[in-house]
Amino acid sequence: MSVNAPERLIETYFPTDEEYDRHLGKRTRRGFLVRSLFLLALIIAVVALVTLLYTIINDSFGLVAIVNQQEPEDIVASLGHDSEETGLGDLSHDELVSILQGGVSTNVGRRLERDQRFYEDRLVFESEAVFAEICSSAEPPAGCDAAPRDQASVLQLVQERIVQPDIIDVEELVPSLTSPEEFQQRVEQIFINSPERFGEYTFDQVQFEWRAWLNPTFVRTPASGTPETAGIRTAVLGSFWIVVITVLFAVPVGVGAAVYLEEFARPSRLNDFVQTNINNLAGVPSIVYGMLGLAILVRALEPLTSGRVFGVENANGRTLISAGITLALLTLPVVIIASQEALKAVPNSLRQAGMGLGATKWQTVRSQVLPVAVPGILTGVILAVARAIGETAPLILVGAASFFTADPTGPFSRYTALPIQIFQWTSLPQVEWKHLAAAASLFLLIMLLILNAGAVILRNRYSRRPS
Amino acid sequence: MTNETQETLDLTEQEGSEATSPTTEAPAAEQMGSNGLAPGVIETKNMDVFYGDFKAVHDVSLKFQFNEISALIGPSGCGKSTVLRSLNRMNDLIPTARTTGEVMYHGANIYADGVDPVAVRRQIGMVFQKPNPFPKTIYQNILWGAKINGFKGSKSEADDLVENALQQAAIWDEVKDKLQESGLSLSGGQQQRLCIARAIATQPDVVLMDEPCSSLDPIATLRIEELMLELKKRYSIIIVTHNMQQAARVSDRTAFFNVELNTKGQRTGELIEFSPTDQLFTSPKEKATEDYITGRFG
Repeated sequence: MSVNAPERLIETYFPTDEEYDRHLGKRTRRGFLVRSLFLLALIIAVVALVTLLYTIINDSFGLVAIVNQQEPEDIVASLGHDSEETGLGDLSHDELVSILQGGVSTNVGRRLERDQRFYEDRLVFESEAVFAEICSSAEPPAGCDAAPRDQASVLQLVQERIVQPDIIDVEELVPSLTSPEEFQQRVEQIFINSPERFGEYTFDQVQFEWRAWLNPTFVRTPASGTPETAGIRTAVLGSFWIVVITVLFAVPVGVGAAVYLEEFARPSRLNDFVQTNINNLAGVPSIVYGMLGLAILVRALEPLTSGRVFGVENANGRTLISAGITLALLTLPVVIIASQEALKAVPNSLRQAGMGLGATKWQTVRSQVLPVAVPGILTGVILAVARAIGETAPLILVGAASFFTADPTGPFSRYTALPIQIFQWTSLPQVEWKHLAAAASLFLLIMLLILNAGAVILRNRYSRRPS
Repeated sequence: MTNETQETLDLTEQEGSEATSPTTEAPAAEQMGSNGLAPGVIETKNMDVFYGDFKAVHDVSLKFQFNEISALIGPSGCGKSTVLRSLNRMNDLIPTARTTGEVMYHGANIYADGVDPVAVRRQIGMVFQKPNPFPKTIYQNILWGAKINGFKGSKSEADDLVENALQQAAIWDEVKDKLQESGLSLSGGQQQRLCIARAIATQPDVVLMDEPCSSLDPIATLRIEELMLELKKRYSIIIVTHNMQQAARVSDRTAFFNVELNTKGQRTGELIEFSPTDQLFTSPKEKATEDYITGRFG
């Protein structure tokens, strides 16, 4: 139905009613078309995100076919417990040590004991005299001073050394749910086709169990050469240290630069030049920052970044502090630009009000402008941290270790980081590594989510507070 | 508190020092009142203001008196706000702005070398066109100006200062129960009175008001006008207004500005007439003033 005024004098350069109606239809259709295109764009983005999540989650959970060298039930039963009621984890410290004593060679036992003792007051594998001699040598092993192993630690040793689970094959989440019997048939087929691969095992010994590749043990254990015992502890701690160093460096420097550019600098050619360069730096490939970090931080500033100046024994500058500062430089343009935008959004009337009361520029900025800009600045910092936590390429250049098992102890430690660990695992041929990489990716995503949620809460609190 | 005016102001003094060691010595000029013989609280001498190469106002010589309300009126673009902002060096905040000539405050040129504009603004406060309370509590809105100027009083003295300022601005009764709420939670008229309270909490000597009622409804406007009449007993007030009735109602003296087209085709503001308000509105000396106040243009 058309809406037209009944009798009206209309200037000739306007369309007739009929033309107007036709034109209106065209205008409406064009709007609808554009809206549909935007919706399509949104759908593409959502599909991409869902696919990513699907892939990661699909690989992070699923069925595994395991053969144990020794069944935990048998071990428990051999100690006289009811294997129905008691699990391996319920055994006492003493019982677990006795299992180890019976299961591993004396040489292995001695090595374990030198790493960490089993008891405070006595030795299990080593004789007191030899141990005392070793401990008084020039480089005593860790076991001389470290606290003795607790029950959980001994339990882990029993799992690794005695039970020795061997993963035959793994299945992804969705087929595990829809057709578990297909997986069983596949494993059986492996045994039929190549029985020699598994030595004395038979298919009857294979156990099918559900496994969440991302589990507390996975997060708590350091990297390992075998997928059954590999974890991400070292990488998580490394990433955490890097992010902390990045934030400590990038936020003060970035916000400071933004405040200077927005509040203090008078417009000039030089300023425009600096501004243009900052905007360009935000788009420089991260590998270039890696090269910068390698040349400046790792090589040129080696005495500083290796910590030698501060009395830390270290071979080179491939340390956490080099990585943190490299990523800080990488994220600096993002922090500066976001902070500048946040400062620009603060109404000028607030600055005038402050100055009009006889405040200095800095008093006005500090008390009136910055508090209003904090939510925007925080958004920039979140973006920067998210980028830093997932960045891989520069870390490879500034010397993140691809296989490293010692916890970082300070900013001058050697390290590895989560993205590096994931990258390394995905390049390994065994299928289990793929699942471990997926689990590590999932953990990285969850860490990001927690970080973002925390920052959003912080931001909301800041923008709601009147003072 | 009595009106604190200082005969000789060391404007280069560090910020805040005035607040902690106020000089209560009243200058002789104050007793003379507005008989025209006094040097005036603020006096501009052949003041020009430029924005870059553009001359915004030309050759303004004005003398504002103690305890009076002086109004600046004129058509849009005549530079009256520019003149007002030059009186406490707020124009310095605009990078391209430049002022020549002299602006004497108690006989000292505030544009002289070595004068810190921060110290000028501490004595000559400002209320803006749009209410602009800080996004903080009402209490903090008032106290901040005093604090940055070196207020060192105890908690109870701070409470007194806040109450006193709010009472002078005739808003105490409305906000006394919600001092810890955001200044932005108030209505437009209340916000503007809060801004006036904030300006007078630092105990300035002069208050500049740049169209303080232009975004307010008639009732709120009336309240601000009553407030101005009350405040002029303690402060000297200079107000820019678009509203001729307002100028006629509240001001003691009125300056009329007009726009002149110069040879380059630029519009430069000029002072046409500065007289006692009743005189300017009843028997203007200049033809342009008469045309403007009778509504023939502008």
